[in-house]
Amino acid sequence: MNMLVSMFEREYVTVTNFAAQAGMMTLPGDLSEPLAMGCRRVRDRRGHVCWLGMAAALLIPLVGAGCGQTAAASYRLNLVESAKQRLRPEQEQQVATILAALFGTPDEPVALAECGLDEAKLKLAAGPVRSDIVGRKNGLYREHCAHCHGVTGDGMGPTAAFLNPYPRDYRPGVFKFKSTERADKPTHADLVMVLRNGLAGSSMPSFALLSDAKIDALAEYVKYLSIRGEVELALMRAFFELDDEDQGRLPDDREFLIDEILLPVVESWQAAEDALIDVPEMPTDIDLADSIAKGRELYHGNKANCVKCHGVTALGDGQVNDYDDWNKVVVQAHTTVQGGLERAGETSTWEMDADEVAEYRAELAWLDRYESVLGGNALPPRTIRPRNLRQGIYRGGMRPLDLYYRIHAGINGAPMPAAKGTVPPEDIWHIVNYIRSLPYDFNGTLGADKPMVARDRL
Amino acid sequence: MMTRTLRIFSQRLSVAPQPRWVGCLGLAGSVVVGLAAAGCGSAVVSGPSPDFEVARALRDELGASTSETETADTAPQGIGWATLKGRFVFSGSPGAAIALVVDKDTQVCSKDGMKLYDRSLLVDESTKGLANVVLFLRNSSRVKSEVPTESLLLDQENCEFLAPVFAGRVGQPIDVKNSDPIGHNTNIAGTSFNQLIPAGESTIFTPARETGLPVTVTCNIHPWMKAYAVFREDGYVAVSAADGSFTIPDLPAGEPLEFQVWHERSTGRSGAVSLEQPDLKWNAKGRFKIELKADEVRDLGTLEVPADAIKG
Amino acid sequence: MKRLVAIFWSLLFLSVPVLGVATFIVGPAYDIWLPRDVSEHGAAVDSLFYFILALTGVVFIVTEVVLFWFIWKYDETRATGPVRYVHGSHTLEVVWTIIPAAVLLFLAIYQMNTWADVKMRRPNMAPTVEVIGRQFEWRLRYPGRDGMLGTPDDLHLVNDLHLPIDEDVLIQLKSMDVLHSFFLPNVRIKQDAVPGMKIPVWFKAREEGVFDIVCAELCGWGHYKMKGRVTFVTRAAFDNWLERKYAEQEATQPDPPDGLAAVGVPQTFQLVTN
Repeated sequence: MNMLVSMFEREYVTVTNFAAQAGMMTLPGDLSEPLAMGCRRVRDRRGHVCWLGMAAALLIPLVGAGCGQTAAASYRLNLVESAKQRLRPEQEQQVATILAALFGTPDEPVALAECGLDEAKLKLAAGPVRSDIVGRKNGLYREHCAHCHGVTGDGMGPTAAFLNPYPRDYRPGVFKFKSTERADKPTHADLVMVLRNGLAGSSMPSFALLSDAKIDALAEYVKYLSIRGEVELALMRAFFELDDEDQGRLPDDREFLIDEILLPVVESWQAAEDALIDVPEMPTDIDLADSIAKGRELYHGNKANCVKCHGVTALGDGQVNDYDDWNKVVVQAHTTVQGGLERAGETSTWEMDADEVAEYRAELAWLDRYESVLGGNALPPRTIRPRNLRQGIYRGGMRPLDLYYRIHAGINGAPMPAAKGTVPPEDIWHIVNYIRSLPYDFNGTLGADKPMVARDRL
Repeated sequence: MMTRTLRIFSQRLSVAPQPRWVGCLGLAGSVVVGLAAAGCGSAVVSGPSPDFEVARALRDELGASTSETETADTAPQGIGWATLKGRFVFSGSPGAAIALVVDKDTQVCSKDGMKLYDRSLLVDESTKGLANVVLFLRNSSRVKSEVPTESLLLDQENCEFLAPVFAGRVGQPIDVKNSDPIGHNTNIAGTSFNQLIPAGESTIFTPARETGLPVTVTCNIHPWMKAYAVFREDGYVAVSAADGSFTIPDLPAGEPLEFQVWHERSTGRSGAVSLEQPDLKWNAKGRFKIELKADEVRDLGTLEVPADAIKG
Repeated sequence: MKRLVAIFWSLLFLSVPVLGVATFIVGPAYDIWLPRDVSEHGAAVDSLFYFILALTGVVFIVTEVVLFWFIWKYDETRATGPVRYVHGSHTLEVVWTIIPAAVLLFLAIYQMNTWADVKMRRPNMAPTVEVIGRQFEWRLRYPGRDGMLGTPDDLHLVNDLHLPIDEDVLIQLKSMDVLHSFFLPNVRIKQDAVPGMKIPVWFKAREEGVFDIVCAELCGWGHYKMKGRVTFVTRAAFDNWLERKYAEQEATQPDPPDGLAAVGVPQTFQLVTN
């Protein structure tokens, strides 16, 4: 302790000496006397260091900084949407309360019978990592997923900001890589496949080493988080549809909450199992090389227009300033806030009456809140690049079947459009064959002696 | 005062020098203390936490109740049908037309030096009529006609959507067409409809849900292409014409009707338009209520949109 | 009282060799020992480990016991005689410098053969598989029927490495981003994956089984969970598995709901030889 004190004294004197010489400050002489007395007292009569004092000096701040229970995990409200909908704090609280009623907490999830979810699987996946009474590991989501996808499934976990692309935000209920039509939800098998294989080229790892039961439980929990997120969005958007008589409070009867808000979401998930894309057989009456040539024509042509975004070189450089749906929300929010602040800055309150001034102030307060929400509760938006087709790395899977799905239905949430109905299935297969040949394509021909181009960056 | 301090401190300094590592330990300790005291502040805004008591009660209530097997439709009120019309005018000045940046497929989109202009604020020069104001009925207890089966046409040519604002009805098919010699894709936000449309072809889209407010219709290949679309269940939508006039026929008479008004460039929330009218009461969400009598043709007259209600 | 304090301290220092030896004796009963070795060269590596363990173990026990003895015997209550100022023993210093140096030199030469076997005598064969370390997974690429890596018929997998037993296996190790280290504990193989380098790793497995692949070089926040799985099977089963996985990769039809994988006619790439 006296070492600390002596060191402090030396520093203090040095700094204050310098300051005094530079005429910058006067020493608080009245404080120095008790300070010096205190320093003297720390040393005992024989000049020994007071070890107890040193230990106390080190331990007390450590103990003070962090001892005791950590707070239980709680869901984070979708503040970007609530700011966009201009919800007041009591309206946000109503939404949070309804969600707690319908879905419980991260440690104790609740699945109403209407949700069609298996509550046992949810309990396996939810909560802190722990072993249950038979020694089975619980808390799978928090162990494997929460650090990227967040406890709320909002794609804003602690590691999310460092990843490109960002982890999926489940709350809008939009998933990219699935075997169903564009507007439909993924099937359970689609979610299991993503967990098992990971997404090549992104930070989503393969969880193939987990047992089937665990992967099942995690997929169910993802569905739960997604349904919860969609219900949250629906509740927040419902405030705009309220009549003036409702006085800004949502009805909390079954007809509204279950029938109008929850059931449409749940039904879309249940309908996914039947909305699989019908995949016709790959045409067998055509030579592979001819199919690839046809695919090349289609790629560069006016029917499929692949070249417009994926580029003439197929390196994905045809279109570089578009956003996916999740980032678009944030970009539009930024635009709204910037525009609002500019307009507010240009408005003069000089000639406004009391009502208008109040309105103006409320608008400013809303813009401020929106801005701080975007700063702390949203990741900086990133553009989405079309896939570099020369690398042979496809996020949704590299089977010909997977590529067929991507072209037929497009990629929901991304600018990739659907070719369904306007490009016939044989043509889609020709494009698939062409794409699979691209990583090995050199000057337009396949050949064993030709070096690899753009593919082997490894 | 200063000299006394200095004296005391110099006395302390004359103590035998301490080993350096102890000083470092002290410094580290003070750093730890400082950090612990400051804490790791995060910029995350946290919303209000739920009221768990209320939540539990609500959950019990929902569990106890059951859905009625058939939700009773709101009983039709009133008889007869009426018509609503009016004209929107803009009292500000629209400013010079802004040219869009056309950088793709210029052999078609900038053919013969053609320029494409931003159409978000279209004001008729002679009548000052404000075009593309959307007016729709929010709720109705009855509709005059069922959903028609003929399809509407949403076309794009010369690298722009022909209609800056398109109105449709839930369940009525829309023929989304591409009349250009190049391919487009039509992306209707909020509907998961994003379809490649080759040159000269078309595809059918049937909206399954109504939109709260108009949603964007864009082309990802040609980013400057933008339009708006609104789909309503009962079909009582009108989009003001070039001179600002609109008509909605066959509205249910004898019941309170609430209309929503929207314009792309309105300063109201999400584009809602709220006007100051002596005889019509508009609320902050861009809505007004009227009640019509059977066979009445109500002319709202000239609805003036002031300059400060429009952005930019 | 002072004697008790001295006894306490000397016993405390005695507990170090005692507990040290005890952990080595008790450990294997709790499965805390070298992992099961299924490789051919593993025995040589392990025997080197044991040799060094024995050597250093003996030295450790001797020095610690001597330390205990000195603390016990020469504390201030017992050693009351006059202090002798000794200048040290030059002979002793020379002896206990030369002997360890000789031992180390012996070790260096003794292990050269094993090192060469594992790291220098590469079998003359094409790679069985290419392992690419990536944050935070092990990407695998098997050459297809044509036996060449980097052709359209390669099999791409993640984390699920299968290898045949009873034959030499050559792995081409690369890294896609940062330093990783390909560590197979049960085969006594550890090799850093250096970005920009293609490093050959070879061994021969002797027994079937499923074991871990772990990353042994800090590579980022997910390093702790960068785990894979290596499965050793007979050559026939290995070929079978490759065919099955390849057919899955070339699937043109979704699996029917009864779970049996149905694959369309795989349009496997044939390289155009012109």
